[in-house]
Amino acid sequence: MTASPSHEAAIEFDHASFRLNGRALLQDLVLSVKQGETLVLLGRSGSGKTTTLKLINRLLLPSAGDVRVNGRRTAEWDPIRLRRGIGYVIQDGGLFPHFTVERNIALVPRIENWPQARIESRVRELLATVGLSEDLASRYPSQLSGGQRQRVGVARALAADPPILILDEAFGALDPITRSEMQKEFRALQQRMRKAVIFVTHDLREALLLADRIALMEEGRLIVDLPAAEFSRSQQPLVRAYVEAFSALPDPMCS
Amino acid sequence: MNFLQFMMANRQQVLDLTLEHMTLAGVATLLAALVGIPLGILITRIPQLSKPVLGGANIIQTIPSLALFGFLLPAPWIGERGSRLAILALALYALLPLIRNTYAGIRSVDPAVVEAGRAMGLTDRQLLFQVELPLASGVIVAGLRIAAVLSIGLATIAAAIGAGGLGEFIFRGLAMVNNQVILAGAVPAALLALFADFVLGRLERRLGTLRSKS
Amino acid sequence: MTIDSIRGRSAKTVCTLLVFLLLLPVTSCERNANRIVVGSKNFTEQLILGELFAQIIEARTHLPVERRFYLAGTFICHQAILAGRIDIYPEYTGTALTAVLKQQPSGDKQDVYRRVKQGYETKFGLSVGPPLGFDDTFAMVIRGEDARQLHLKTLSEAAAFTPKWRAGFGYEFMERPDGYKGLVASYGLRFAEAPRIMDLGLITRALKERQVDIIAGNNTDGLIPALDFVVLEDDHHYFPPYEAVAIMRGEMLKKHPEVGAALDELSGAISDEDMRRLNYAVDGQHRDVTAVVREFLKQRGLIN
Repeated sequence: MTASPSHEAAIEFDHASFRLNGRALLQDLVLSVKQGETLVLLGRSGSGKTTTLKLINRLLLPSAGDVRVNGRRTAEWDPIRLRRGIGYVIQDGGLFPHFTVERNIALVPRIENWPQARIESRVRELLATVGLSEDLASRYPSQLSGGQRQRVGVARALAADPPILILDEAFGALDPITRSEMQKEFRALQQRMRKAVIFVTHDLREALLLADRIALMEEGRLIVDLPAAEFSRSQQPLVRAYVEAFSALPDPMCS
Repeated sequence: MNFLQFMMANRQQVLDLTLEHMTLAGVATLLAALVGIPLGILITRIPQLSKPVLGGANIIQTIPSLALFGFLLPAPWIGERGSRLAILALALYALLPLIRNTYAGIRSVDPAVVEAGRAMGLTDRQLLFQVELPLASGVIVAGLRIAAVLSIGLATIAAAIGAGGLGEFIFRGLAMVNNQVILAGAVPAALLALFADFVLGRLERRLGTLRSKS
Repeated sequence: MTIDSIRGRSAKTVCTLLVFLLLLPVTSCERNANRIVVGSKNFTEQLILGELFAQIIEARTHLPVERRFYLAGTFICHQAILAGRIDIYPEYTGTALTAVLKQQPSGDKQDVYRRVKQGYETKFGLSVGPPLGFDDTFAMVIRGEDARQLHLKTLSEAAAFTPKWRAGFGYEFMERPDGYKGLVASYGLRFAEAPRIMDLGLITRALKERQVDIIAGNNTDGLIPALDFVVLEDDHHYFPPYEAVAIMRGEMLKKHPEVGAALDELSGAISDEDMRRLNYAVDGQHRDVTAVVREFLKQRGLIN
């Protein structure tokens, strides 16, 4: 998959809805992400964030409305080609337990039949990119720490250099120090790579750190969609509630 | 003469019958695996079939073995040779553990891993062969182990319908009221079963450790 | 160690083992080529005949002979010889015709023999040797005292008395087409109650101890004269002939025609009387089968 030209939307939700067993998990979503942009989906559990992500890589199809990737409806895409062009990172990595780190990272390149030499050099490159030492390559996920596993997850998602990245609470299970490190490194990575990124979190601080734009969701609906800089200043009641909830927490790092 | 001397004196026969026995049980287990494992995979893909398939295999297992041999006797081609009949009957018995363990093994693979694989663009085939089967392999081999030990044990009854194997010693020994002859059949059969259990158990454990690397 | 290498190694090991397992029996067949395996069913007369075959083959040829006696019955022996697991076993023409070839029996000895020989050759590739000289047909046997008291010589005469008698029959007799059903039809027999189905080994004792009054025994049973039993004449000629013959594997004979020649020497060598005496020596006098057979062969000048 090639990247969209930067003025067009890489990902677009056109009044998309999703129902399951009579329940509406997502209602009338209108949202778009441009190439090079990082959109953070913020919201509580059950707000529809994960459903939104799954509509992008066609793990789910919309019950109403359209979801478009690179201008084409997901329903019209070949699911395999669509998914191989989208990097997917989930909490705790979702790594294959029976593959080594190296084999996990090389997954998509392998099934895309890259020549072996190219795969090997790409794996080395990615390990460096995510800050892992090369001698972890032959270890198994169970032998790594949480933070290391997450880095491998990111490396795996980046392996075939997909133009789109979707991350679902990717740093949620990490301890605060590692989490902070990962957030900073991810920001640096994004500034270099300019992918279209959708990042799901329930943590406002993480959102403010990583996002170009923040979309707040609640009970399957989009509440606000604002540039990050304007978000904290919004007077929308739910936004206020969020901001207050986070500022009520003691934050020794806050001046 | 004592038992060991008896075995030595008749070693040609013992060897012949042991090889016959291994063929009966081995071919039957192989057949059951060739049919049962794909069936087990199929019912994970088409859940509506799981009940009838597992139910059917279960029913076969509840038929007493000698009765099953008897049912198959009149069948054309199959019933003409004791060994063909025995292999078919033994294979039918070995189906349930293989189907069931394949099914359970694949279903017990962490769904998050499978979803991650699917999200990254693995085709169904790639998911099956690169993720589900390797992670289920320990449980599948456990089913194979059960099937093999079952076949080796049941194959002793196959002698009753003329299929040969170590059961022949047992039946002849009973007719002769000769314990050494009985043991000449029973002991190697038991040893075969233990050996199969041991080897496949080792394999099972080796493959089983893969799932725990999560 | 990557998963590939683990999987690869284990899969290879299992595959090799399986191939080995399946090829072994094939390779072992070659070793067997020079052994003659003689089988027999699991009653005395069969053991004697089997031993007879074995000893004369050993005497006339230099082939090692393996004995696999006590096989459970006609079906087992037939399966075993078809599968090549035994090379020779003693069978009876009547049994071969009705139970194996599933044809209708007749009372004519030559006709039965001819049909058996032809049928076995065409259908199974098995060769049928010449008759050994005796007819082990079914004998309806009663106690001597009953025969004398009621002046019974034939089955038709006995048919009048059977409603007061209990019958004891072996399992095979009850099931075979040339057994119980046809007998009852031919003579219009009725018994006091349903016949007791008993193990062949116990049946003669049951008659002696008055647990039953009539049994289906064999014409050549050694205990008939010994226990003062009487064979009722089959005046309707219901029972087909059961001439004893050797059944031999065609491929074995092609490789070792000397075996066929050795067994041919037994043609007509054993009369009904002879067989009864041999049976009695083993069953009645509890002598060893091997010794009894050797003695017999020596007496006939067939071995030294």
